[in-house]
Amino acid sequence: MFKRIRRWFRILTFRREFEDGMSEELRFHMEQFADDLVSRGVAPEEAARLARIEFGSLQNVKSDCREARGLHLLDELLRESRYATRLLRKTPGFTATALLTLAICLGANLTIFAVMDSILLRPLPFPEASRLVTMFNTYPKAGVDRDGSSITNYYERRGRIPAFASLSLYNFGTGIIGETGSTERAQITRVSPEFFSTLGVGPLFGRTFTEAETAHETDNVAILTDVYWRQRFNADPHVIGRQIRVDGVPKTIIGVLPPNFRFLSSESRLYLPFASRPQDRAPSERHSGGNAKQLIARLQPGATLAQAQSQIDAQNATLEVDDPQAKMMADAGFRSLVIPLHADHVASVRPTLLLMQAGALALLLIGAINLVNLLLIRATGRSKEMAVRQALGANRRHVVSEVMVEITLLTLAGGLLGLGLGAGGIHLLTRLGVDRLPLGATIAFDARLAIVALIAAVLIGIMLAVPIAWFNLRDHLTNRLQAESRGGTSGRSAQRLRHAFIVGQIALALALLTGAGLLGLSLERAAAVSPGFRPEHVLTGRISFPWKSYPNPASRLQFVERLTKEIGQLPGVLASGVVDNVPLSGKSGKSAATVKGHVLRPGESPRGHYSYAVGGDYFSALGFSLQSGRFLTPADSRRTQRVCVVDEDFARYYWPNSSAVGQRLFEGGEARADAEAFTVVGVVGAVKQAGLTDDAAQGAIYYPYIFRTGDDIFITARTSLSPESMTSMLQKTVRQIDPELPVSDLRSMETRIADSLMARRSPALLAGIFSAIALLLTAIGTYGVLSYAVTERRREIGVRMALGARPEQIRNQFFSLALRLLAAGTTLGILGGLLAGRAMRAVLYHVPPVDPAILAGAAAIIGVVSLIACLVPSHRAARISPMEALASQ
Amino acid sequence: MGKTADLLPGTLDMLILKAVSLKPLHGYGVLLRIQQISGDALEIPQGSLYPALYRLEHQDLIVAEWGQTENNRRAKYYTLTSAGRRRLREETAGWNRLASAIASALNTKPEEV
Repeated sequence: MFKRIRRWFRILTFRREFEDGMSEELRFHMEQFADDLVSRGVAPEEAARLARIEFGSLQNVKSDCREARGLHLLDELLRESRYATRLLRKTPGFTATALLTLAICLGANLTIFAVMDSILLRPLPFPEASRLVTMFNTYPKAGVDRDGSSITNYYERRGRIPAFASLSLYNFGTGIIGETGSTERAQITRVSPEFFSTLGVGPLFGRTFTEAETAHETDNVAILTDVYWRQRFNADPHVIGRQIRVDGVPKTIIGVLPPNFRFLSSESRLYLPFASRPQDRAPSERHSGGNAKQLIARLQPGATLAQAQSQIDAQNATLEVDDPQAKMMADAGFRSLVIPLHADHVASVRPTLLLMQAGALALLLIGAINLVNLLLIRATGRSKEMAVRQALGANRRHVVSEVMVEITLLTLAGGLLGLGLGAGGIHLLTRLGVDRLPLGATIAFDARLAIVALIAAVLIGIMLAVPIAWFNLRDHLTNRLQAESRGGTSGRSAQRLRHAFIVGQIALALALLTGAGLLGLSLERAAAVSPGFRPEHVLTGRISFPWKSYPNPASRLQFVERLTKEIGQLPGVLASGVVDNVPLSGKSGKSAATVKGHVLRPGESPRGHYSYAVGGDYFSALGFSLQSGRFLTPADSRRTQRVCVVDEDFARYYWPNSSAVGQRLFEGGEARADAEAFTVVGVVGAVKQAGLTDDAAQGAIYYPYIFRTGDDIFITARTSLSPESMTSMLQKTVRQIDPELPVSDLRSMETRIADSLMARRSPALLAGIFSAIALLLTAIGTYGVLSYAVTERRREIGVRMALGARPEQIRNQFFSLALRLLAAGTTLGILGGLLAGRAMRAVLYHVPPVDPAILAGAAAIIGVVSLIACLVPSHRAARISPMEALASQ
Repeated sequence: MGKTADLLPGTLDMLILKAVSLKPLHGYGVLLRIQQISGDALEIPQGSLYPALYRLEHQDLIVAEWGQTENNRRAKYYTLTSAGRRRLREETAGWNRLASAIASALNTKPEEV
């Protein structure tokens, strides 16, 4: 079969050769035959004549031969394509409108599909990626939905869950790579030894990590990604064994990953072993996941997700037996969930992407309806020609294939234009931040997409052609020859079909507009939410401490104190401070705290709270509101007395009827000695940590910096000038204190807030664009159909006007037709809008899925646009002069 | 020229395969060979020979190759493929079964019924 197709293609390519060969072969035959006749005594001219007679019509034989080779279909196709091209070129207005509609609608769909395809559809780039899963601990009753996994989880589960072929632990982090003087901060992933075998992709050369390399004393090895190998080592094939400094510590390179290796959305340059100490693996650390450490696993062939889940549940239950924390964790609703890796990674963007694709498809449908309408009008214009041709013997197959070829040609050309537009659309989406979505960096406009586009174009062509072909074949010929003749109007059914299409179009556009309105209103409501502090004129930047030069809390505190003091002295800086996690940073881990004297009520579970370490004048720098007591001061890190500040949500939850100031609490899940208690010295306003739209009043505790000296700090500065103008000054100050410490993620607080709304703004903007196009298409469609109705009924109008009808009557007649169509379309569209609202519930913020104001507004816009589109043709109808109308045609 | 018979439908392909199976032939040679091996009893309509050849080539039963005739002219020679050989065997067997069945039917005498 395959061979035959290949040969067929060869014949197509060498068509000329085929024809020449055939002619030569047939000529040879006739000459031989004539020669034989001559040798039997026939005169040469007579012999040639006899040979021709004996052979029959050369053209027929040739055509039979072509057919035997399967070439006749192609010939027919070519002939019809040429005919169709000629027809399309004769009506440039129609062709241009159709092509533009197709290009825009297909382009929009392709753009969205490219994103969908890369993010949702394509499997992760690992063998049998569907068997990869991730798991995380969840404590829903404590308000902590997701807390990663702990090192203990990894060591307890490894090799003990039969449904897993392998299990691995990893965390994303950053490090300072390079020699003194040429360092850079780069992303680093720390992984347990079986990480690469779990994924099923090993290094291009070299080896992976061993079990012996998971201790801090022996973990000085590194695996390079292809990008880093090329950038820093010039693709040196002898790189194995060379050294590279990470945070000042030399590491030996033991492997290089293949070029296409990419773990989820990671931009990591380096892979290091996940080292830990025995105490990190102890049962007491079982619940210290903290979202930084994650587990992945590969399911055994044949094992299901449900099996893995039940085995994990069973193991958790067994381990709980002698776990002192078990009661508290059970109260918090603790479970470890197993989720497919790919689905989990893209879960946050899935609903929005699906909605966008639905919107694009609605747009395509509107465009397609426009095209069908235009094509139907065109077919009506040619229906007599068709009828005559059929009467003269054109067969049905021919009529159908001609329509198919013409329309498919049109949609294919539109598809090609749409491909170009789609490629441009991807650029637009990149500006809207699509490459920052999970797996967003893999979005590509490639051959796969081009093939999808062309297949879609052909399918649409066929779907559009079916009603037209049906229309062309439908009636009895005599009917057709009589109807639409001089003085008549088009067939009822054609008219009804066109009107139904307009109604559908109005309904779809209305639904789309409603959806866009809901998204827009959600965006507006989200943007109006106060973050809880004053974000204007605040500059923020991130610093990560390398462990080597800042090994202990004292050294970090010293740095923080010097930094905040020096920044505070810069001209134009009003206040400066540090915090280990700035609001809206994208990190939103919560941790436990125990309030002294608080007894858990029945059914109440321990809560996770946002916990911060603050230094300098953080509260003034960010513009927190003070509700009672005082802010923390730099001196609190140096005092022996432990103090802290809580936010209003925290205070209201634990002390609804009394003052929070003077109360005491402990860090962590259990009460300890009184000496370790923190005394609340102030209550501040609540701020949004996870996002502006996060309404959970989770409560927050602010500790003096010395008590929580993590690896990351954010520097914050309130400025009197525009914060962006201070960035280089801030960087310079940090470099003066420590030349090897880069500042990353430098953004003003207002930019952070704007960026945090990207996930709402971009879809709303896209939906707005789609709706605008839909409106335009609907206007064109309504205008087209109505103008056609007017043109078609010119004579009728002329007759009526000659008999005394007034122009207003004529105008009103068309206007009332338009109104009827509009009313039907609006009714359907409101239904569609309700459905759209329901489908969108997950992505709406403080907007009900049914919003009467939005529905009414959308209906009003559609109404105005389509009535304007009706005005021109109605007026034209009223101005028809009876004399001209009756004389024409 | 003796008495000639018209071809039964469907038998031309079989005859072409047979002719080509004996020796690679060009189109005109196929025509002559069929006449020869049928003892000049079968008349092939010349116009239908080539579509049949092209069809058989399209079905991979024969392959064509350009070559030289004895008097040095370029001609397309057809050779049987292994698929063609198999088909010829099947068709021959089928034909023989059919022919003997029809022959025995036609030779039936009243007393044998």
